[in-house]
Amino acid sequence: MIHLAYQDIRHTLSKFLVTAMGVGMLLGIVLIMIGVYRGMVDDARILLNDIQADLWIVQQDTLGPFAESSRLHQDTQDTLKSLDGIDKAAALTFQNLQLYNRQQQAIRVLAVGYDPAGDFQPVSPERLIQGRALRAQHYEMVVTDKTGFQLGEQIALGRDTYSVVGVTRGTVSSSGDPLIYISLKDAQNVQFSYSNPRIRSDRARGIGGQQTQLVNTVVATLRPGYTPVAVASEIETWKHFTTYTQSEQATILSRNVIERSSKQIGLFTAILVLVSGIIIGLIIYTMTLEKIKEISIMKLIGIPNRLVIKMIVQETLLLGAIAFVFGNFFAHLIYSQFPKRVVLLWNDSLALFSVILAASFLASLVGVYKVMKADPATAIGG
Amino acid sequence: METGGIRVNNLHKTFGQGENAVHVIQGASFEVKPGELAALIAPSGAGKSTLLMMIGCVLDPSSGEIWLGDTQVYQNRWLEKDTRTLRREKIGFIFQAHYLIPFLNVLDNVRLLPLANQEPLPQVEARARELLGYLGLEEKLHAMPSDLSGGQNQRVAIARALATRPQIILADEPTAALDIERAHSVVQLLRQIAKEQRVAIIMVTHDERLLSYCDKILKIVAGKVDTLPPPETTETFI
Ligand SMILES: Nc1ncnc2c1ncn2[C@@H]1O[C@H](COP(=O)(O)OP(=O)(O)O)[C@@H](O)[C@H]1O
Ligand SMILES: [Mg+2]
Repeated sequence: MIHLAYQDIRHTLSKFLVTAMGVGMLLGIVLIMIGVYRGMVDDARILLNDIQADLWIVQQDTLGPFAESSRLHQDTQDTLKSLDGIDKAAALTFQNLQLYNRQQQAIRVLAVGYDPAGDFQPVSPERLIQGRALRAQHYEMVVTDKTGFQLGEQIALGRDTYSVVGVTRGTVSSSGDPLIYISLKDAQNVQFSYSNPRIRSDRARGIGGQQTQLVNTVVATLRPGYTPVAVASEIETWKHFTTYTQSEQATILSRNVIERSSKQIGLFTAILVLVSGIIIGLIIYTMTLEKIKEISIMKLIGIPNRLVIKMIVQETLLLGAIAFVFGNFFAHLIYSQFPKRVVLLWNDSLALFSVILAASFLASLVGVYKVMKADPATAIGG
Repeated sequence: METGGIRVNNLHKTFGQGENAVHVIQGASFEVKPGELAALIAPSGAGKSTLLMMIGCVLDPSSGEIWLGDTQVYQNRWLEKDTRTLRREKIGFIFQAHYLIPFLNVLDNVRLLPLANQEPLPQVEARARELLGYLGLEEKLHAMPSDLSGGQNQRVAIARALATRPQIILADEPTAALDIERAHSVVQLLRQIAKEQRVAIIMVTHDERLLSYCDKILKIVAGKVDTLPPPETTETFI
C-alpha cells in the first residue's frame, strides 16, 4: 500500500519540519522547566549530603536551621559529646551575606561557619577543585566557583578582609545561593556581633559584655549500636532542644523550602504541556483543513476512511516525535545558559515523550473528526 | 450476456424543505449500456452534477431506482449499507484535472484505489503502467501532478478512473480546463475506452462540438432526462 502520511509529509517537508521545530522548542522549554525542578531538588540536598550528620539539634520547637531560624549556645556541642551514643558533634552557623566582587557587584551567598579544628568538615573534598579547606581560625574563606571569586582573592566582609584559600564546584544552598565557608569564630563575629554604636549603647545601658557564643545548629554522629531515633528522643527529654534525624531534615527541606517553588514549576510545566497539546491539536486541525479537498476526493472515489485516518494519525504522531527530538536537542543546547542548575534526566524526557504522544494522539482525533465529517458530495463544486 | 451499464428510473432529488425546497431532478429515467459514451448536457444549474453524483452513489436521491449493471443499488433508499464500497468497486470518477491527489506522483495516484481495494500489488503495478502507457504517460510515471500540463493531468485522471476496471465511468466536465484540441483528444480517448473496455461512460460537457463523438445525448429538461441521438456533424447541432 502507498504510505500516504510519508508521501504527504515529503510533499511539504520543509513546512512540516519547521512546524515540528517550533513545537520542539516549546517541548525544550518544558524539559528545561523539569530540569530546573530536578536541579532545585538536587541542590537542596547538597549541604545535607556534604555534612553527613546522623542528628541535627536545633532550637526548641523550630524547623531550623534551613526552614526556620534557630539559635543555640555553642557549648551545647560539648554537652552533647558527653552523652552516651554521640560520637562526634560540631556547632555550625548558616547566614545569608552579601559580598562584593571587584566590579562592586553584590553577590548573595550562604555562609557556612564551622570550626576548622572541629569534628565536622562540611567542605567536601570531592567538591574542592582548587586550594584547600579552612585551616586558620580567622580570615580564611572557601568559596564556590559560581561566586566568581578566585583563589587568593581578598574579600572584605564586615570589618575584616578574608583571603580565598579554596574553591569548590557547584555547592549551593537549598534556595540556590552559592555557598561560602568561613570559620565558626568569624561567622559568629559577623552574625552575632553588633555594630560599634550598638555595643556602645548596650554598655551604656549595662547589658553589654555577654560572653556566650551562639550557633544555629549542632550536628552529631552516633556510635555504632545507637539508633538516631533513640538518641534523639533522649536529647529531647532535656526539653531544651528539638532534634531531627538526617532524613527528617531532608523532609523538612523538601517540604518547607522546595515545595512551594516546585509546585510553581509543576504548574508551569503542566500549563506548558497543555499548551503544547493544544498547539499540536491546532496544527493538525489546520493541516487537515488544508487537505480537506483531497480528503473529500479520496472519500468520493472510494478510499476507505481507515486509510485517511491512518494518514492523519501517523502524521500527528510523527510531528510529536520529531518535535520531541528537536525539543531534547534544543534543551541540551541551551540548558547551561540558565543561572539555576538544570538537571536533564532521560527518565523525565521519556515521561514527557509519552505525554506528548498521548497529547498528539488526542490532537489527531480533531483531524479524524474533520475527516469523518468531510462530505464527498462537496468535493466537486459546480 | 453482458453485464454493466446504468439504468435509472423515475429518479427525484429535492434540496431543502417546505418553502425553500428546490426540485432539481423530477422523475429522470434513462439508460447507458456497456460500451456507450453518453453526453449529459443542460444549462448551468440544471442538475447535471447532482444527477451524476446520485448515479455515482455519492449523493442521496429523494426517491427512484438505480441499477448498476444487473444490481439494483437504489430503491427509494440505498440497498447496500456502504455506498463507498460500491463506488470503489464499480465506478470510476473523472473530474477536472485539479482533482488528483497533489502529494502523490502519477503512478501512485493511479495505484491508490486498486491498492486500497486490496488487489495484489504486481497486478496493480502492471495495470497502472499499462494504462499510463496507453494514455501516453509512460515517461511521467514519477512526476508530481504539479509538474504536468492540464492535458497530461486529465489523462492521469482518466487512468485513475480506469485502474479498478469499473463498469461505469462518470466524468464531470473532464474537458472544461482544456483547450479545444486537447478536449477533442480526451473525448476521443473516452470513446475508445468505452468501446475497447466495454465501459458505460457518462460525460458532462458544455461543449457541443464534442457531442458527435458520443453514442447518445442525455439532456436535462425541466428536471427530466430526454435521450437524444448524436448530431450528424458538429455544425448542425445546437
Ligand atoms: N447541496 C445543495 N443544497 C441546495 N441546493 C443545491 C445543492 N447542490 C446543488 N444545489 C442546487 O441544485 C441545482 C443543480 O446544481 P448542479 O447539479 O450543480 O448543476 P449543474 O452541475 O448542472 O450546473 C442548482 O440550482 C443548485 O443551486
Ligand atoms: Mg456541475
